[in-house]
Amino acid sequence: MWERARQRRRATAWERDLPGSLTAEAAGDEAGSPLLEAGRLYRGVSGVDPEPRPMSAEEIARLGDPMATVTFRRGRFPMTVHELLAEIDRSGTVPEQKVFMIGEAGQIPPQNAPQLRRDLRFTLTRAERGSAPDLLISTAATGDPADGFLQVIAWDPVARVFNYYMRITPAWVWTGDSWAALAPESRGKGCFDSHVNGSVVMKELKQPWGNWQSMAAQIQLAPSDPLRADPLYRQVRGAEELEPMIRALVSRWTGARLEAVIADGVLRRPDQLLRQLFTGTSVNLASALTQSAAVSPGQDLVLPLGFWLNADALVDDLGLDVTAVPPSVPGALYLDSLIMFDFRLEEKTSGFSQEGDTFFAFVVPEAAYEDNDVANQMVRKGLVSAKFAACALMVDFPSPVFSPDRARLMTYVPAEATPIDALDERIAEAIVTAAGRSPAGSPERRFAAGWALPDDRWRAEFGSRLSAYLEKAGARIRTADGFGDYVRLAESRRRDFKMMRLNEFELTLPATGIPEDAPRLRMTEDATVATRP
Amino acid sequence: MTITASRLAAYGPPGRLTDLDEIGRQAWHVLISESVDRAIKGPDPSQALHDSPRPQFYNLTKTETAPDAAEVAVRWTAFPRRVKLHSIGDRKRWEHADSSRDVQDEYCEWSVTRNDAGKITRVTFTCEGPEYWEVLAQTRPDVVVDLYRRHVSPDVQRSDLFGPDGRYRPRNEWNNSTTHGAMHLIQQSNTLDAEIELAAAATIRRVIDGRELTTAEELINCSKYGAAERNSDPHIGQVVNSAARQRADISLADPVGLYIDGLSTDGWSAPDGSDPMGYWRYVRGDAGYPVRAVYEVPVNRNFTVGDITINGRPIEFGAQIADFITVRLTAVVCRVGRSTAAPQTACVQMPQATSPEEILRHASMMAEHGYPGVQRVTRRS
Repeated sequence: MWERARQRRRATAWERDLPGSLTAEAAGDEAGSPLLEAGRLYRGVSGVDPEPRPMSAEEIARLGDPMATVTFRRGRFPMTVHELLAEIDRSGTVPEQKVFMIGEAGQIPPQNAPQLRRDLRFTLTRAERGSAPDLLISTAATGDPADGFLQVIAWDPVARVFNYYMRITPAWVWTGDSWAALAPESRGKGCFDSHVNGSVVMKELKQPWGNWQSMAAQIQLAPSDPLRADPLYRQVRGAEELEPMIRALVSRWTGARLEAVIADGVLRRPDQLLRQLFTGTSVNLASALTQSAAVSPGQDLVLPLGFWLNADALVDDLGLDVTAVPPSVPGALYLDSLIMFDFRLEEKTSGFSQEGDTFFAFVVPEAAYEDNDVANQMVRKGLVSAKFAACALMVDFPSPVFSPDRARLMTYVPAEATPIDALDERIAEAIVTAAGRSPAGSPERRFAAGWALPDDRWRAEFGSRLSAYLEKAGARIRTADGFGDYVRLAESRRRDFKMMRLNEFELTLPATGIPEDAPRLRMTEDATVATRP
Repeated sequence: MTITASRLAAYGPPGRLTDLDEIGRQAWHVLISESVDRAIKGPDPSQALHDSPRPQFYNLTKTETAPDAAEVAVRWTAFPRRVKLHSIGDRKRWEHADSSRDVQDEYCEWSVTRNDAGKITRVTFTCEGPEYWEVLAQTRPDVVVDLYRRHVSPDVQRSDLFGPDGRYRPRNEWNNSTTHGAMHLIQQSNTLDAEIELAAAATIRRVIDGRELTTAEELINCSKYGAAERNSDPHIGQVVNSAARQRADISLADPVGLYIDGLSTDGWSAPDGSDPMGYWRYVRGDAGYPVRAVYEVPVNRNFTVGDITINGRPIEFGAQIADFITVRLTAVVCRVGRSTAAPQTACVQMPQATSPEEILRHASMMAEHGYPGVQRVTRRS
């Protein structure tokens, strides 16, 4: 019931697909769930608790995050964001506040689409002075604050987990902690359908920060919009300040998690960590830094690097030297493609449609920071070698996301506890052994070829391959056929993303005229596009 | 922040610095006031069309700031976006940004000091416009030398800073590199005059083919008040224009200047567990108006800046810190809803050249600034 309560974000991308979902309309005037009593904190972990149940005093006492200590443990149950902020202010903890704002319709001029619900949302961070935030609040920026969604993620410094809460009037529900995201029974369920690894999420993490208000784009409001007078709106900062906070928080949980799963030199459940290297468990959304409507025929458009490869991991974290420049498409080809492929923004739930690409051009899923951070910290802590991580990521590297080839290598990752000092060698040996009986070009053979490189040569060898690939892509993107292929490939990946629950809003991505049943595509190392098996 | 209605007596020095004497302060006021007046007037139509005047921009010392006035801070990241756009990987962009002051074009420049082992021991950031130093050099040259000695090196000699003709040389040997000191901004676009001109030009509303322009890129492309590839220019323009669309009058708050808004240290870690924010100091500018900052670990800590990590990665470049620095200017917005200024219905254009000399002049302006339609040397390039 609480998973489908109306006081959650209006995820337009789900509402059409989930019969029985409690949209605001379907829920009528009912404010929240009648199952819950006022002044209580319930426990409602999706996949575990069949229905919300009141948490005992002992259970509440074990919650050590600022949300629990400031409110629930004092018998306080603020029902609006303003009441919550007042409680926090009174407590004197986490005094530093920053406000951010996001809206998938935020760049659509209000006067052009009066039928469109803009669904602007605030994210508030609260931190001790000079520290990364310990408490994040997500709430509707407009509408009745007592009725819109209100969710909190708060860091428990003792348990070293994030706790997840949502208000379902007239009560609050604890929907789990970071470990629940990894537990089989609750993985991918409830709030963990997006917080898949128990961390904080900012989908549009990098410049230009997609739908966020930022130094790259101000969210558009009508001159008379009452939001302009909202004290929280007046505090809104650019998403460029949120990005480093989110990175720090993701890393905080990754670090805590790694420490918790290692005991006496043995790593518990290596598969739960290494799936973030081999398969990727989430994605971020990247785009060109340029506004799509501002692209002119004579201007080059640099596509997001994450479209071509997982540069964050391979170049930044693992230090491969790439000499190529980021591929760019002539503006004329990009503009032609918008017509040829019938790009438009569509929200079927409201009937809204607008020709063209998303506000920032060429949005695509890229390798997730939370996945890369796990791999990076595993390397830094010596759980696996840099070479091992590089060999894994170099398998099908032109497909930085949704690579069945790389995912196949998970077959060789043990689920049982494994000594750290033998972890990567054991997995590599298993892959190399399997390579001997697998066909040419298999993922196992490609991994094995990299693994066989001498320790003083693998970086240069891999870097050369990346540079050669980007140079080919840089040439091919400047041809009509080549760029057309890349548009189809980008759409293929967007459709993979749309299968994820992380895809909450219809306006996050463009729609195209590419047939729904078009085969999924993959990039090859010679920068051509092929059908994905 | 709400401010009381008033007419400013005189523009004050940036950061409320106290280096200037009375004559210097008067000269500074005149310099800013005249710059604002020029910006209100805009370019002569022989230089640029559809770019003048700017009736929604006003001079704080000549026009009253109305009781409804509010200050609006405009913030952006110090790391140069243009470098980021054309780099593959963090290391390459950091190397590039650390290589020359000429690429540090977000109104913030820095210089890096390393020890014999090559580790960073100190990074100095400045957002002081060169105009202030010209005025100071003309009125109190000895103070200029003293400040260089205090903030850059005790080895500075007067002859290092002033030419044989006695004129101050902004790009002197103690202020022309990323390794030998940074006293004030020298990148050609990093000037207060450019800041004022940009803000004024952005107050012009643009209604093109019946549609009012609102986004950062379409505004800067149409109004041509800077370079679209920067963090700062399009953002300043969009925020200012947003206020103009509310039919407000706009100015730059006194003291007119560029300020270091802050450093965030999310994800930073010092080897001894100390707070990395503790090594960040503002060394010039009044409270709330810092124009110079230093990141440096005291010697008694037994580690250096280079031992501090950001998301697990040691600080090897000053640019890594610049990623976390926010720069700010502040606009004053008042008389909301009362401006009767009509929008321009065309974008800025260069007038048709009628002679070979004009064609050459326009071509040289394009070469200098990288975009057409701009005739003033104060424009950001």
